[in-house]
Amino acid sequence: MTTNTAAEADVQKTGRPILEVLNVTKTYGEGHTAVTAVADASLSVEEGQFVSLLGPSGSGKTTLISMIGGLLTPTSGTIRLGDQMVSDMTKKELTSLRAERVGFVFQSSNLVPFLTARENLLYVASLPKNHNRKVAAKRADELLGELGLSDRANNIPEKLSGGERQRVAIGRALMNDPDLILVDEPTAALDTALGRQVVQLLAREVKQRGKTGIMVTHDLRMVEYTDQVFEILDGHLTKSDGTTPPAGH
Amino acid sequence: MNIALLEMRRAKLRFGLLSVAVALLVFLVLFLSTLSGALIESFTGAIKNLNADVLVYSSSARDNIQGSRLNPTVTAQVADVPGVASAGGIATTTTSAQLPSGKGDLALFGFDPNKAGAPGGLKEGRLPSATNETAVDIAGATIGSTITLLPTNIPLKVVGILSGAQFSAAPTAYVDLPSYQAAIKASNPNVPFIPLNAIAVQTEPGADPATVAGQIAKAVPGTTGYTIPDAVAKIPGVSSVSQTFGILVGMTFVISIVVIGFFFLILTVQKMRVFTLLRATGASTGRLARSVIVQITAVVIVASAVAVLLVWGALKGASSGIPVSLDPTLVLGTVFAVWLFSLAAGLLSIRRIRSIDPATAAGAR
Ligand SMILES: Nc1ncnc2c1ncn2[C@@H]1O[C@H](COP(=O)(O)OP(=O)(O)OP(=O)(O)O)[C@@H](O)[C@H]1O
Ligand SMILES: [Mg+2]
Repeated sequence: MTTNTAAEADVQKTGRPILEVLNVTKTYGEGHTAVTAVADASLSVEEGQFVSLLGPSGSGKTTLISMIGGLLTPTSGTIRLGDQMVSDMTKKELTSLRAERVGFVFQSSNLVPFLTARENLLYVASLPKNHNRKVAAKRADELLGELGLSDRANNIPEKLSGGERQRVAIGRALMNDPDLILVDEPTAALDTALGRQVVQLLAREVKQRGKTGIMVTHDLRMVEYTDQVFEILDGHLTKSDGTTPPAGH
Repeated sequence: MNIALLEMRRAKLRFGLLSVAVALLVFLVLFLSTLSGALIESFTGAIKNLNADVLVYSSSARDNIQGSRLNPTVTAQVADVPGVASAGGIATTTTSAQLPSGKGDLALFGFDPNKAGAPGGLKEGRLPSATNETAVDIAGATIGSTITLLPTNIPLKVVGILSGAQFSAAPTAYVDLPSYQAAIKASNPNVPFIPLNAIAVQTEPGADPATVAGQIAKAVPGTTGYTIPDAVAKIPGVSSVSQTFGILVGMTFVISIVVIGFFFLILTVQKMRVFTLLRATGASTGRLARSVIVQITAVVIVASAVAVLLVWGALKGASSGIPVSLDPTLVLGTVFAVWLFSLAAGLLSIRRIRSIDPATAAGAR
């Protein structure tokens, strides 16, 4: 893939991938009820790369991307995004990191029920310290157009189909032009055709805008749109070479 | 983008009902306080607005001006007490009279125009300066009209109109002491001696009324001194009326605060998922707390506006016989207090918001 080689060349120039996860472990709880959801995971992703994360239910996928996106703090290990050490941030810093640098599409598409599709996008645009309403309005309309939601923009989530809601959630994740896009099972609520369309859109967004994307999926058919494949099993992360089918599928 | 107001616009019914509920409660608070204020004023106005700092009664008066009897010579003794700038006698009785509204009861006050103890609240005209001139707080009375005392048929010429000078919820007429004494003598020719009921005292500048009141009681045997607020509070019935209304107003106030507090707590609990999501997408706790504050403020503003309209309408509609008007200070004070305590109740909600773990939005169980 040409973009991939370009990105690799770029890395060779700077010598540093944009996202670096090093020996990260997350343990929930304490004592004999402790659950280690992610154990000693390391991965690095370069700018412009879209990677997929595969693994059976309960293997630690959501936990891992939550830590990367600044929602959870690792028990040990480090996470670096660009020149920011995410793993060392205070709660307050993590809040603005999420507002400004991370776009998250949650596992169950989660929208504010009393805001229209368009307002759901505009709200997150108002979160970063220096925001511009006009620019935000323009970008929201653009994104809704790209996602095929122009004529659904003024509907509240209740009036949208599952797939439409999923696309609004993706629009919201892209709204603040984040450096990092994290997507948790984007295709779960969609049929194959629509799922494919959504994943293609995400891949295009990552490539065109030079972002970094991580997509959690159960669906092996979606892997073809990504540059790297990681597998996680009982919290242990491995990079897949893409030849052997991942465990658990 | 103001998510708080947007939400209220989308949930008009819910917030409308809350506003109406709060409006009714604020209405009750305002209506009861206005009414109790007017009632107490009509009981106490004559004394509260008296041109004096201290009132002296006889010790046997049991704190009640109508039970007090003082020899007019005591006035000079009181005037000699250190700290007293001016002392004037006051006498009062209840009599029948021909009023603009017909025959009725009248509280007649005699005072010394050149000394302490003139009535306050002059709205129009002047205070009496000659025999059988009077300043009155009587509904419908006008300058130049005549009030006739019954059964003596003594005519009093109205030269001044007072407001807030009623006593025991009765209309009042103020005349000079000689006119007062003549009126009493006319109806009861055998009376040997006409006592004063009280002596009004103006203290010297810088003197503390309470201290002067104490000194008078010590220096002049058989007397007790009261500061004006003290004398007002001791008028029979005043403390129980104000206490009863105070309890009603206080309870209504507390209920409205509880309603607001719990409503927003329920609303917050219902919206926990949304708040968690917003925290996860990078909204700060402070921002979400502000949205609760904005909503509480909006509800209080709307409810207060409705309540003021209701009170205004109710006061216009109900003619209660005592003069009632809506006091802007009371309205603003009440609304401000409701707002402040509602925000305090909103802290329950804000505490819930603070406890949110944004990670749960990602669904890592
Ligand atoms: N808050 C929590 N407290 C305790 N244990 C947790 C918590 N969240 C997740 N876990 C546990 O950590 C493990 C990993 O959970 P995680 O949600 O990351 O899995 P997943 O790979 O996203 O699963 P799925 O595909 O079902 O979404 C599971 O065993 C889960 O039960
Ligand atoms: Mg998950």
